[in-house]
Amino acid sequence: MPLLRRLWTPRGGRAPLTVAEALRRAEQRRREGRYTEASLLVERGLTLDPGNITAHLLAAYLHTARRATAPAKEEFRWVLGRDPNHARALLGLARIALEEGDARTCHDLLRRALRFYPDFPEAAALMEAVHARETAPSTAPSARAPRVERLRLPGTGRALIVARADGGLLASQPVADDAKDVAEAQARALRLAATALTRAGLGPLHRAIVEDGRDAVFTRTDGELVVSLALPRATDPTQGLLDVNRLWSATLHELGLAATSPAAAPSATPADTSAADSTRRVS
Amino acid sequence: MSGPRLKLALEHDSSSRGGHIRDIVQELKRLHWVRGALIVAADGFVIAADLPHTVAVDPLAALAATLGRELETSAARLRRPSFCTALFSADDGTMFLAACRIGYLVVLADAQVNVQAIRGALADAVALIEAAWAPAEATG
Repeated sequence: MPLLRRLWTPRGGRAPLTVAEALRRAEQRRREGRYTEASLLVERGLTLDPGNITAHLLAAYLHTARRATAPAKEEFRWVLGRDPNHARALLGLARIALEEGDARTCHDLLRRALRFYPDFPEAAALMEAVHARETAPSTAPSARAPRVERLRLPGTGRALIVARADGGLLASQPVADDAKDVAEAQARALRLAATALTRAGLGPLHRAIVEDGRDAVFTRTDGELVVSLALPRATDPTQGLLDVNRLWSATLHELGLAATSPAAAPSATPADTSAADSTRRVS
Repeated sequence: MSGPRLKLALEHDSSSRGGHIRDIVQELKRLHWVRGALIVAADGFVIAADLPHTVAVDPLAALAATLGRELETSAARLRRPSFCTALFSADDGTMFLAACRIGYLVVLADAQVNVQAIRGALADAVALIEAAWAPAEATG
């Protein structure tokens, strides 16, 4: 309650907050990651001026920042209802569409934003990611699935996914109902990561490690093929990368893309020198 | 946990959190082989950044936030735990991403960076943010 009182009443408590002052303070708190306080100030602003576009836009941002997609969409749509070419609202809705897996809608919204503001850097960056999705190779090593039973998981290995960069599942171990969905989700994340790496001037994506509370998923890719291995989260990164490198080489052999047989060597034995060298580089 | 730890004295005074955010970014930037760091909200808004001049902040932040949300929403759809940290490596460097209460921490580093050290530093930073921001967010 003290927090609410402080936000609704200006310092000294002499005069009520104006809309402009409420939004200025909200923006300041947003810059400090104080989303709850910022939201209360925006609510205050909207109470005073329910039709304020800036307040609705700020509300949309704050919902998004708090990972509340549905109210964020509502607010972005409200803004677009008043200003159909509002670039920031178009970008906000485009990002949500991408989150929801609707690349077509995302593309259309970004195109609208860029039509009116061709130099909108965030929209251009996201458009790159969407284009990367559309142009991901879909035919590369798809001629046949690797004989996954020959790809020996390390002792602690929990799951293996072999997929094309467009998310098409080639093989999984163990065979799971959601392996296709996992492969598609990985592909979406890797495309975004690849675009971010390129934007940061770091070059094409080769490896990834994504950790959650339970697993660490080690991934290797060349932009066409993706091999990912789930291991316990406590796995040493060097060991995990060695394991995924070994499976990468074995997969290439199974697909007929490698000149020599890696013989699906036991865990921790890198299948090729380049893989081992690369592992050392990142660890 | 091996490697350097962030040395920050975060107070719970909400009025100084803007300074604390900048401290966190600067401490991450000081780590060995680190080129830059930023904190971005889940909506892509840059809260604090210290990146090389060659890197445009806003586009990278937009992509990092979108990537973070993609990892979170995919995990939710697949009924799996949400990601804590992620690392993406390329020929010329590595990008780290960590989820936190106020958004995502991003670190850009050279290829030879000590992965464990950065992961430890990111875990420290996330814990500091959690400690400093959780009480205020709960109050609201």
